[in-house]
Amino acid sequence: MLALRLTRAAHPAVHLRRLLVATAAAGTGFLLLSALGYALAHPAHSTAALLRLSWCAIPLAATVYLAVAVARTDPGAKPRTGLSGFGLGPARLMAIAALNTALACTLGSLLALLVYLHLRGDLTGMPFDGAAKDFLAANRSLPVPAALTLLAIPPLLASTTVAVTLRPRDLPHHGTRSRMYGRFGAYDRTAKRETFGAYGRFGARIFRTPKASTQPPHQPADGTPPPHHPTNGTEPLQPTGDAQPPHQPADGDQPPHQPTDGTQPPHQPAGSRAAGAARVGADGTVQAPVSETHPPAPADRTEGTPDQVPDLPAAPPLAASPTGLPWGVAVLAAGLAVESYAGVTETTPRTALPGGLAVGPVGVLAGWSLTALGLILAAPGLTHLCGRLLQSARPGARRLLAGRVLMTEATRLGRPLGVVCAVASAAFAAATLDGYDGSTPAFGPLTTLGGLLVTGCTVATLLTAAVEARQSRADTTAALLRLGAPATMLRSAAALRTGALLAFFGPLTLLIAELAALPLAR
Amino acid sequence: MEAPPDNDVLWARSLHFRHQDGSPGITGISLGVREGEILAVSGPRGSGKTTLLKCLAGLVPAQGGEVWFNSKAVHRMGPFTRERLRRDRFGWIDPAPTLVPELNVWENTALPLMLRGTGRRRAKVAALEWLERLDVGDKARKHPAELQQAERQRVAIARALAPAPTVLFADEPTAPLHRADRAHVLRTLTTAARSHGITVVLATHDAETAALADRKVALLDGRRVNTVHLPPVPEAEGRAECSLSV
Repeated sequence: MLALRLTRAAHPAVHLRRLLVATAAAGTGFLLLSALGYALAHPAHSTAALLRLSWCAIPLAATVYLAVAVARTDPGAKPRTGLSGFGLGPARLMAIAALNTALACTLGSLLALLVYLHLRGDLTGMPFDGAAKDFLAANRSLPVPAALTLLAIPPLLASTTVAVTLRPRDLPHHGTRSRMYGRFGAYDRTAKRETFGAYGRFGARIFRTPKASTQPPHQPADGTPPPHHPTNGTEPLQPTGDAQPPHQPADGDQPPHQPTDGTQPPHQPAGSRAAGAARVGADGTVQAPVSETHPPAPADRTEGTPDQVPDLPAAPPLAASPTGLPWGVAVLAAGLAVESYAGVTETTPRTALPGGLAVGPVGVLAGWSLTALGLILAAPGLTHLCGRLLQSARPGARRLLAGRVLMTEATRLGRPLGVVCAVASAAFAAATLDGYDGSTPAFGPLTTLGGLLVTGCTVATLLTAAVEARQSRADTTAALLRLGAPATMLRSAAALRTGALLAFFGPLTLLIAELAALPLAR
Repeated sequence: MEAPPDNDVLWARSLHFRHQDGSPGITGISLGVREGEILAVSGPRGSGKTTLLKCLAGLVPAQGGEVWFNSKAVHRMGPFTRERLRRDRFGWIDPAPTLVPELNVWENTALPLMLRGTGRRRAKVAALEWLERLDVGDKARKHPAELQQAERQRVAIARALAPAPTVLFADEPTAPLHRADRAHVLRTLTTAARSHGITVVLATHDAETAALADRKVALLDGRRVNTVHLPPVPEAEGRAECSLSV
């Protein structure tokens, strides 16, 4: 009931996304029912019917993918602090999200059933002069359990996937680090060893901390401290002419407080940590000891440590680049190779696809699927690369924001983008083949429906992922606007991101499509 | 129309603001901020400090009254002009450090400078200078997620100070910190502001924090008051009757 209440009171854009899911589920359901109709009309060709049913897996997968993407952006399923306080935590919200998805998909399935029955003439006579009589098996009675089973597949699959995707997971605590078992008998590595050649490696010596900052703060900052007024920055710190605190905890070698003329020195030697500590130490009201704010450097810090000893246990994988790029490229190349070999050998059995999509050996199909998989695997890494190129070579604020955001959102945006590219290249290759070979029949209505469905679903998923990325960056955008960043600059950064992705992935898709169509076109 | 006094860099007269849901924000606040001073706007939570700062900084348009900045009428500016004014003249520090998570620390600090059109190299030099001054210079190449909250807040202060704003608005800059970190952050902020002649409008509900300022303006329920007299906490009388242990 709560799910319905939350569903009803949503934003129109959210409703639109749910409607998209319902439409996709309706299309998939109709394709499934059409496969059933083919099986009814041709009881003898069970293999062909099974093949048609198995081809429905692609639209089904696209629908489920879209449903998951929509559920992730659903604001009703986001954990909220107020709701979590009285028990509506992430687990219940996951259930609500799954229920919402099931609702939308069931709506779509019902729509598909209505359309199917209408086209069969079961409801109000035969429409369109019985044009759909053949492949819907209009003259036979519809087996209701079979139809309902088929129609239940999209809602069940989609809601299960949504529940699995949005299941509550505890983030690993920041302090707990997976323990590294290093040398024999050692529990943990005490210090980073300097391995062979690590000394002269590029960048190993550049970003070292200056020696002053690692020293305990009671020592003078440099070898050459200014002889007079070493902590002149503390001069205006006395809040309203307070009395000097009785003792100076910061440094014993500070000269007695000299009442200067009140004008600021032109250069403030406050860069070192010692000066900063002296600022705290001169606090007359709080009396915070220096060691509270700046603990001295740990004693076990050795001189031979090659780089900064990290204070924090593990850096969160913030700008970690996606790791799938080598795998993706390898799978992509393997797929293209399999295709070309399968195209060469003519003895392999040929499989006719329903609707005459393409007539080719089984190996070509395997190659195509491998190519698509490789593209999907490689796309996050390529997106990351795109962002890296965008922010390289002395970027200004616009390119910096555009590139870094692209690098951070590489996984979230790259996956659906890879799927879109795979679908687009497959469609392009299929269209090319259809143009080459006059003997192949044109696409049938069901194939067209399936293709439109898959294309629409993947594009909608990509747009939904973009919406999700924007939602997750809403706080940052608001802070930037508060800072005075022009909204036009933010908008042009977004346009720059889009343009870079288009310029990178468009030619790539065309290239892969050409390569994929090459062995079949001979 | 009465011209604002010359020595006031920021000047407001009978400001009124009502939130979108109709709840009252501030009602009739007048104040002047002199050049180079640190003005504390104090008051309990919900007394309209943040709203007043937003009105003064041009983040929200004042619905009644006037805001003058250096004899320019902020209350008559459009959103674009106010945005440019904010970018070029004002700085803003949030209660929680809102850094851009994708950029590292020095890029975050250099961002306002780059937004103003400063070259990358000069922006980087200025940003690193300010980070050194605020004792986070050794973290300049880390990302904000790798820093502690106090360090992030210091980075946010460095970001606000780096473009040398005329007026810096600090909205409870020490709210999420412990006392030691709080003292350090405030001290660095006030030191930097005084040594560079930056006017600071500091919202706080903390008496210790307000003691660091040159002048104090007390707010209560959206009005400016001279002394805050809240009803005292009732003493232990009558507690015995309600106690469960009796």
